[in-house]
Amino acid sequence: MHDSVSFSSRRKFLMQACGGVGGLALSHLLGQDGLLAAPASAGGVVRPGRTHHQARAKNIIYIYLEGGPSQMDLYDPKPVLNQLDGQALPESMLKNMRFAFLAKESARIMGTPRTFKKHGQCGMELSDLLPHIGSIADDICLVRSMHTDQFNHVPGQLLMNTGSAISGRPSMGSWLSYGLGSGGKNLPEFVVLICVGRGVPGGSASWASGFLPSKYSGVMFRNEGAPVLNLDNPSGFTAAMQGRNIRGVAELNALRHAEVRDPEIDSRIAAYELAFRMQSAAPELMDLSGESQATLDLYGVNRTEPKIEGGNQLGGTGLFGTFARNCLMARRLVERGTRVVQVIHASWDHHSRINTDLPHNCLMADQPIAALVKDLKQRGMLEDTLVICGSEFGRTALGENRPGQRAVTGRDHHPNAFSLWLAGGGIKGGQVVGETDDIAWNVTKDPIHVHDLHATILHQFGFDHTKLTYRFQGRDYRLTDVHGHVVKKLLA
Amino acid sequence: MRTPPPRFLRASGRSLLLVGALGVARAAPVPAPLDFGRDILPILSNNCFHCHGPDDAERKGKLRLDTHAGALGAGKSGLTAVVPGQTAASELIQRITSPHDDEVMPPRDAKEKLSAKQLALLTRWVEQGAPWGNFWAFEPPTRPAVPKIANPQSPIGNPIDAFVLARLAQENLAPSPAADRRTLIRRLSLDLTGLPPDLATVDAFVRDTRPDAYERLVDTLLDSPHFGERWGRHWLDLARFADSAGYLNDTLRPYAYLYRDWVIDAVNRDVPFDRFTVEQLAGDLLPNATLDQKIATGFHRNSLKNDEAGADLELDRSKAAVDRTATTGAVWLGLTVGCAECHTHKYDPLSHREFYQLYSFFNSTAERDVPAPRPDELADYQRKLATWEKERDRLEAPLRDHVATLVGPPSAAWEASLSRPAERWTVLTPDEITTITEDDERIGSPNPDHSFTTGARDPVRTRYVVKSPAEARAVTGLRLEALADLGGKAGRARSGDFHLAEFSAMLKTPDGAQHKLEFAHARADFETKSAPAKGTLDGDNTTGWSITGRTDATHVIVFELKSPRDFPAGSQLYVELEHRITGVLTRFRLATTTGALPLTPDPRPDELVAILDLPAALRTSDQALAVARHVARFFDEPGKKLLAPLATHYAKQPEFPKTAAPILVAHERKTRIHLRGEYQQPGDEVEPGTPAVLPPLQRRGPRADRLDLARWLVDPANPLTARVTVNHIWQHLFGRGLVATVDNFGLLGEPPSHPELFDYLATEFVRLGWSRKKLIRLLVTSATYRQSSVLRADLQERDPQNTLLARQSRQRLEAEVVRDVFLASSGLLNRRIGGPSIYPALPAFVLAFGRNKSWPETTGPEKYRRGLYIHLRRNVPYPMLATFDASDASLACLRRERSNSPLQALTLLNDPVFVECHETLGLQLAARPADTSVAARLAHAFALCLSRPPTAAEAAAMQRHFDDQLQLAQGDRKLAFVAAARLIMNLDEFITRE
Repeated sequence: MHDSVSFSSRRKFLMQACGGVGGLALSHLLGQDGLLAAPASAGGVVRPGRTHHQARAKNIIYIYLEGGPSQMDLYDPKPVLNQLDGQALPESMLKNMRFAFLAKESARIMGTPRTFKKHGQCGMELSDLLPHIGSIADDICLVRSMHTDQFNHVPGQLLMNTGSAISGRPSMGSWLSYGLGSGGKNLPEFVVLICVGRGVPGGSASWASGFLPSKYSGVMFRNEGAPVLNLDNPSGFTAAMQGRNIRGVAELNALRHAEVRDPEIDSRIAAYELAFRMQSAAPELMDLSGESQATLDLYGVNRTEPKIEGGNQLGGTGLFGTFARNCLMARRLVERGTRVVQVIHASWDHHSRINTDLPHNCLMADQPIAALVKDLKQRGMLEDTLVICGSEFGRTALGENRPGQRAVTGRDHHPNAFSLWLAGGGIKGGQVVGETDDIAWNVTKDPIHVHDLHATILHQFGFDHTKLTYRFQGRDYRLTDVHGHVVKKLLA
Repeated sequence: MRTPPPRFLRASGRSLLLVGALGVARAAPVPAPLDFGRDILPILSNNCFHCHGPDDAERKGKLRLDTHAGALGAGKSGLTAVVPGQTAASELIQRITSPHDDEVMPPRDAKEKLSAKQLALLTRWVEQGAPWGNFWAFEPPTRPAVPKIANPQSPIGNPIDAFVLARLAQENLAPSPAADRRTLIRRLSLDLTGLPPDLATVDAFVRDTRPDAYERLVDTLLDSPHFGERWGRHWLDLARFADSAGYLNDTLRPYAYLYRDWVIDAVNRDVPFDRFTVEQLAGDLLPNATLDQKIATGFHRNSLKNDEAGADLELDRSKAAVDRTATTGAVWLGLTVGCAECHTHKYDPLSHREFYQLYSFFNSTAERDVPAPRPDELADYQRKLATWEKERDRLEAPLRDHVATLVGPPSAAWEASLSRPAERWTVLTPDEITTITEDDERIGSPNPDHSFTTGARDPVRTRYVVKSPAEARAVTGLRLEALADLGGKAGRARSGDFHLAEFSAMLKTPDGAQHKLEFAHARADFETKSAPAKGTLDGDNTTGWSITGRTDATHVIVFELKSPRDFPAGSQLYVELEHRITGVLTRFRLATTTGALPLTPDPRPDELVAILDLPAALRTSDQALAVARHVARFFDEPGKKLLAPLATHYAKQPEFPKTAAPILVAHERKTRIHLRGEYQQPGDEVEPGTPAVLPPLQRRGPRADRLDLARWLVDPANPLTARVTVNHIWQHLFGRGLVATVDNFGLLGEPPSHPELFDYLATEFVRLGWSRKKLIRLLVTSATYRQSSVLRADLQERDPQNTLLARQSRQRLEAEVVRDVFLASSGLLNRRIGGPSIYPALPAFVLAFGRNKSWPETTGPEKYRRGLYIHLRRNVPYPMLATFDASDASLACLRRERSNSPLQALTLLNDPVFVECHETLGLQLAARPADTSVAARLAHAFALCLSRPPTAAEAAAMQRHFDDQLQLAQGDRKLAFVAAARLIMNLDEFITRE
């Protein structure tokens, strides 16, 4: 309540300073200041643009590889795995474990054909499937000791992306836009770019605003044509006519404001102006003609996609171009003022065919992701842009012997230990944090829970995760619920 | 300490008001006597209870401030927190005012800090002798006297105004004048029906000079069938209503709409809120419950459900029960009950144990889907059935004649050739059959003949667990009949085959002991080499019994026990049928026998065998015919020929409508506390019960059930339900609740802005027989409701949130109603009420990211139906609704946000639905009589959309806009008129209730 009052007096001050009635300059000012669209009714506490401490990151690009990529095939080398291939796990390690599909009584350890090599000056060991990410090893902080509570996709994704396995909580991106509270630019604050593949199990929950006002919700961009829903004017309406319409709306709304003096009308006028600006900014965003051939090649926008026998069962085919473009688009968005970008690809849920489908997915993703980090660095943007590449959990060292399945060719969901990496935004690159046991089953050093990751991300943006709260149904909610510790080891 | 001088205030009210209104000076605030529950307890709870509250686990320094004894007693330090009358001796006061970082409370790093005002209040409270009291919301409302107002500033419409004006007088504020009639009719129409008034109705109301014109309008709107849609939708927010289950599969709930229809209808019929409550929480438990009362329990079928393959079903079931508990607490009690799922509530008197006592009501509940055909479906079915029966009778006639010729010698000849089974079978009479698939577990009921019909879409890997009472001595075996009806098949594979992978049985004796039954042999009347009967007992679910090639007849398999076993009275027999490949059984029935081994698998029906047992002379003619019919069907060539067309006809028997209502039923389960909220960590067992801070629960039987809980909620002694409900209703009519925290009546909530008015209304609601319509009538006929919503300069400063009600609140319309005003104003709206959800067109990319991509687009007039009928898929929210802050249906939504964003602007400008509205209205303007001036056309559209004529300035602005657009459109008048419609329909006022 306290903050709402100070918020409204601030708006009041601005109103008075600008002479009150419906001026466009006023609404512009309100818009830039992030004061638009604050809930007029009682409810959560809005803290526009106020951080708790100096921020190290201003933007975040969050690459989400849905489904649980296999850590022992990508990030966490386990030579012992091949020695133990075909053997059972001791009972003690299986006790209390729950699996989505595999029958634990008869499951056997599955080795990996992958080879690992040291990269960069730091000597980070990465799989042969990730040569390009290997080339940015000195910029990334690889975490091998992530762990989560959930072993099914949707609860796992909800936890990873909203801090709770229960539906209805605001996504991390929404919390960040709420905390940053800037807005008022030409593009949405929080944009989601999706490479559909198999479909995202949790649907929009990973970027929805939950109980936060809908303006903090991620805006899903289309990969081609007009990126935002309803961006194009109806046929026959030229840009000039649209401009005249926006002016007419502002004019008539201002007349009404003079009568009823509701400040919401000012917000409405500003929202229409911003919508109009977005109509020209979005096509400009999508137009890659200004990018050099070198940049396009770096991301591999025009790569030819190799054929995969039987088609890629999970990640889909024909997405090499889209994924590369989305990575490039992430940089272009951040350049143009968007603060939170989530790049999603589904899926990496390799219950079977791991040795054909995983390499195909990596071929698609490895180059553009590495290109993004390089490109950001070249342009001096990596310093204040946090890049994260992760998923909801990892995979089992055991081969998946799902009843009824003919052969064991994949791995089941594994919440106890998995890997992800971060770069930029005040993260200390060129290091590996955390260790797991010989078969990547349990974390043996520096465990980092999903809540800890969230606390650390908020910390980089200048927020104390225990203080960025929103009151809903009588309770102060936060991204990290009642958990989370900032992991200092990750920070530069 | 001064006491307020009400006499003085009253006498000079007018002059004070003027001074206040001019903002020149304000009378000094008069200190009101402290009220512990209102003034002190909220400070303590917000700032201290986290460490010094009800939760033993979190308590610091052995000090608790949530009880009187605790506050007056000594903490670990030996010092006393509160010494009445002595601030210096009171450690509480010393610590909160301490300048030392290591001493001060709350600690420096705490999120909350005490304000100077709060410090002063606490100090004054100790000075005044630290009187203790109860929290207001847990005390029953008492009916206050209605204040008497001399020289009121506005008419007193009803007692509400007296309370509001008395409060405004205290604040030296004047109420606002009544809104003009056009604003009033638009406000009232939108508030009560969610639809704008049409032009003729507006004009009639403006011209209506009768003194009760307004009240008449209120009554008309309350009687409108659209009232149920409007206020039903408000309720659906609380019910977290959706058309899908959420999570990965986001499985569709095609019949969820039956509950929505129930809500709309119940609101329209003004079902009293107490009955409305009881039916939704426990309609299934009412004596002789009607189908409608069962459908009402759909309220709690709206919980999310995770049917992701491999998901933990018990976890999901327990999470649904938690959701039902928390939702019930939030919706009826206004309490954050869910906070106590993992630990004792930090602020409110609700223990961890009490949460699980509430949870126990919903834990002892199961989900069922019961047939609930709509009248139109039923009529259609009956029509088809009549036609089918007529044809059946036509085909039956020659067969019947032929069968008659078989009675006597031909049957006897056949009978003579029979070997007759020695054993007789007792059919099991199951209570329930559980269908378990990878994704789902549901309970079903047997048919009247004790057989069970499996689901047409049950996957090949389905298990059926039959639970049946059983009593017999020396049982030697079990029989399973795989039944094939005439014209039907015994299995559900496309070929009509099935594959019974494993058969097992367990006997639960009355002492609770469980005995696995051991079988020695399985024998079927027919089997194939590759799928023999014995495969059902070998523990390998890849082998089993099939009937390949003989799928159109009933088959029987018998299972011999290793040794005879007694089934003592009161035993329960659980039989499990596991399927793995090929297909499941179509319809099956189980029986036991005490006959001697070996048992014979005889597919002849028991009824026939019973007749064969009788000497021919003793049989009735019907029995003789039954035998002859059996002969005709299986052993007589002419008979088989006559039967063939009949069998084909039976296969075409019309199906009973599939519409099935999702409801709740009782299902006894023990409840244990979940330590730290985790179901895998069970603690003490608890019985169903309600929190001790609220009045006691009356139970009808030895163990309380949902019906007791529901009746307890609406017992007038319950201090919360009436208040919470009045607050919900008030909020929809005034923009915010009398308790602003509509979602929290607990200690962290805000106190009511008008406590006496609030209690008056809570008691009045009960007195009015819990009638929603009567309460709304009372509210909207008040002068307070009718005030103008113009934000006066003095109020903008003094009361921007409109807590004091010196004006109405101006509110953006809810998402669904935004759509409704567009469709209504353009004339496209289809006003049909109820029925299945609609699927308005969606761009493919919106659907593409989810796993559930089917979207059978609605076309024709149906696509112009109201917003509340749009299919709500949890993982793919309809973009327009989400953009305008519609509830996402994951949790009960007690208050919607009203955000204001550029995406809303783009939606209103360019969403195809709205573009069609602009066009339709624009073309109407273009098509008006040729002699109509542009100004008149624009004014007409303006009035159509906003229920008022434009001002001169507005008319001029529209004209300029039209002229410019005409030019930009290169003289295309139609396009210019569409642009004009697009302008008006994008005005803030169009989507606002003023």
